[in-house]
Amino acid sequence: MINLQYLIFLPIGIGIVLFLIPEFLKQVKGVVNLLISIFTLYTSILVFKMSSGIINIECFKFPSISKYLIFNVDSLSKLIVLFIGIFGFLFALYSLSYITKEKAITGYYSYYLITLGSAFGAVFSDNLILFIIFWGILGLTLYMLIKGFDEESSSAAKKTFILIGASDSILILGIGILWKITGSMNMSEVHIATTGTLGIIAFLSLLVGSFTKAGAMPFHSWVPDYVKKAPASSSAYLPASLDKLLGIYFLIRICRDIFQLTDWATLMLLIIGSVTIIGAVMMALVQHNYKKLLGYHAVSQVGYMITGIALGSPLGIAAGMFHMINNALYKGGLFLTAGSVEKQTGKENLDELGGLSKMMPLTFFAALIFALSISGIPPFNGFFSKWMIYQGIIDFGNGTGLANKLWIVWLTLAVLGSALTLASFIKLITGIYLGRRNEKLEKVKEVSFLMWLPQIVIAIVCIGFGIFAAKFVIPYLIEPVTGKLNYVGIWQSQSVSILILVSVVVGFLIYLYGNMKNHRVSESFIGGEKLQEETNFSSLDFYQTIKNFKFLSFCYKKAEKKWFDIYEIFKKIILWLNHVFSDAHNGFLPRYVFWYIAGLLILLIILIF
Amino acid sequence: MGKEIFYFLIFPGLLFSGIVGGFLSWFDRKITARVQFRQGPPLLQPLYDFIKLLTKETLIPKRGSQLTFLIAPILALFGAVISSVFVLLPLFGIKTGFLGDLIVIIYLLNIPSLSYMIGALASGNPLAAVGASREMKLILSYEVPFLLVLISIIIKSEMSIKLSEIIAFQTANGAFIGSISGVIGFIVVLMCIQAKLGLVPFDMAEGEGEICDGITIEFSGTTYALVTLAKYIMLFVLPALVVALFFAGMNFEGINILWSILKVVLVVLLVTLVRNTNPRVRIDQAMRFFWIWMNLLAVVSIILAILGL
Repeated sequence: MINLQYLIFLPIGIGIVLFLIPEFLKQVKGVVNLLISIFTLYTSILVFKMSSGIINIECFKFPSISKYLIFNVDSLSKLIVLFIGIFGFLFALYSLSYITKEKAITGYYSYYLITLGSAFGAVFSDNLILFIIFWGILGLTLYMLIKGFDEESSSAAKKTFILIGASDSILILGIGILWKITGSMNMSEVHIATTGTLGIIAFLSLLVGSFTKAGAMPFHSWVPDYVKKAPASSSAYLPASLDKLLGIYFLIRICRDIFQLTDWATLMLLIIGSVTIIGAVMMALVQHNYKKLLGYHAVSQVGYMITGIALGSPLGIAAGMFHMINNALYKGGLFLTAGSVEKQTGKENLDELGGLSKMMPLTFFAALIFALSISGIPPFNGFFSKWMIYQGIIDFGNGTGLANKLWIVWLTLAVLGSALTLASFIKLITGIYLGRRNEKLEKVKEVSFLMWLPQIVIAIVCIGFGIFAAKFVIPYLIEPVTGKLNYVGIWQSQSVSILILVSVVVGFLIYLYGNMKNHRVSESFIGGEKLQEETNFSSLDFYQTIKNFKFLSFCYKKAEKKWFDIYEIFKKIILWLNHVFSDAHNGFLPRYVFWYIAGLLILLIILIF
Repeated sequence: MGKEIFYFLIFPGLLFSGIVGGFLSWFDRKITARVQFRQGPPLLQPLYDFIKLLTKETLIPKRGSQLTFLIAPILALFGAVISSVFVLLPLFGIKTGFLGDLIVIIYLLNIPSLSYMIGALASGNPLAAVGASREMKLILSYEVPFLLVLISIIIKSEMSIKLSEIIAFQTANGAFIGSISGVIGFIVVLMCIQAKLGLVPFDMAEGEGEICDGITIEFSGTTYALVTLAKYIMLFVLPALVVALFFAGMNFEGINILWSILKVVLVVLLVTLVRNTNPRVRIDQAMRFFWIWMNLLAVVSIILAILGL
């Protein structure tokens, strides 16, 4: 049982110690960070093989503290911890080369390690108080891992901190109500139905906590702003992978263990899931900044996970979990490739880039695999988990509730979301890697070994998870949590993957047999005209037609005015309230005398009755 | 594994569906010629075309991503062939463990379009980029009505998503085309495959007149031969899928062979007639057409299917 404490408290401790090392020894800190993350990766693999059970850790013979140190090691938490370990290691490797002087954030590696330890802690905690402590630390480190160097980045950091902080306080409220209802603070001992006013409020409060962490609508608005300005390694580390793992982990705990979903709760979750899928991907479609585009996808994919988990069937939950893992893989990877492109070119917008596939072939290969995975192209991993979700929805349609009867809606929106995802990734891949080579970018070089290695590793894992999903990945990783799964459909990923190789060989032979020896490299043909430097069709204009439709252009205009941003809405309400109350404080004596007398009268009335 | 490779390369995959697709392409061109009071090409013209393209010089775009550009046609061919395997095996009633359900087929059918897009964008040609963006918007347009019709089929066949079970259900209870919802669904699917095949009125991704073949502008010689082969196969696979979904599949006993072949030819004939009697629409018109009218029809078809009509 010794592993568990090391896993949680060693990274936090070392992280605090790293504060003492001066900033100019950045490389030393980076190496320490890498070593610790290798250690935690090793330990998390050990923990994954450990037997399940509730563990109560003795804390230096302080029984008053020890009674809170209750950890739940079950198949779910072991799975999540394994992946936190993997991502912790990969991103530490990437940071080593990515975090340079100009990108430097004070205490980056300290916060990195504290995040790692707290994430392990939050996943293992069975006691809700312990859980909220680790969960809260994660919100703080998220804030510290972005650098406020201009107005936009500072306001993004502030927005993130306020939204996460507000959701955490709502979460605490929910935990309090839960304690009031059940008298227990341990997740493993609580199991109630979502009925009764208090139960519903508790359910919704916990949901807000999980949704804000994972970035589901309507609490998503911090994600795109954060990832636009944060260093790519922070974006990959927290919003893209760890926050998803944790948020969805907590959602599974809420929906499966703490509460028993009733019909209306399922319906609500499915609506939120579908709206998140479509709303966020529609926003992604029109972005110019590639990091922000990825940020909206980080939101959109959460919709699939929520949909899967809301279905409630073993297949649905397994699909949601598998999608969570897959999403953490390819979304983390996408942010790494985005970081590489940004580091090598210094450009942030799609229209300033183009044709990088020749200069950065490894990054391009990885990004293409991630883009195809996230768009759900067979045989990659994203396709497998989406396919499971679709089956889960079709299977769900056999039920009798209102949500079950609407299965057609959920299925259609999920498939449409997948097509829209493909559309926006066609835009991203074209904008950065394909299309006309930009003359100014001819001298760009591939990133260093430490940066491309994590990208390639994740890309290979994406391919492997897609091909061997049914044979190894699901039985070994997911089925311990959900039990044996029964698929409705058939998808033989391994045979099809071999056939892809066969067709590449056949295609190569056709090229050999054909007249490829006589090929000629020539300028593009554009109707016989000479290709001018400025002749281009930017990928930004790809979906202008969609934007011009009446209803959609209305929505986009409102979105630009931040109508769908809960942070802005509350900001407006609070400013308006300020305005209202400022009338009471106008600085004139008679007004204050009036308040005194009014107050006295009210007190009098209360005392009399 | 040898069995799967045989299915993939010989029958009903590459070789077989390539030949049948070539024949259907000849049929399509012959009918078109007849509609326009022309003589039309000889039967082996598609084969001549393919061989001629193989021997022609291949141009590779200078400013593009050359490797991606060369791999794209191969993947397009893969997508066409693998979907032909998954559609034709159940259609011919060949009992084998190598299967894919309807969702898999929907996704695999999109791979050729996706590959053309990636190839076109890798070439760095602005006209190809225009074509690719139109192709993507077209996919966004027809994906939902196509899916909705498949859902109405799934409902009608009592929640089965396996093609073989859907065919078996129709063999036992009559073809779906015999019901009102089936007829409506058939109309919608016909429009969708018109767009999937990139034929008039939905050929704006190629748009010869304005963007010089757009999405395929840069393909030449061997690469274009592969694209052509993939298109031949798609011209067979999509009508075959329609036959499986609406016309109770195929039957190879006695005179039924003739009927089975006629079903596919009939669908291709309809597709050809539509393409010869309509002008090309703009991309926004096409999107509106699918998003509003085709979706509406598809929803009507689903409602009727739920009511059991």
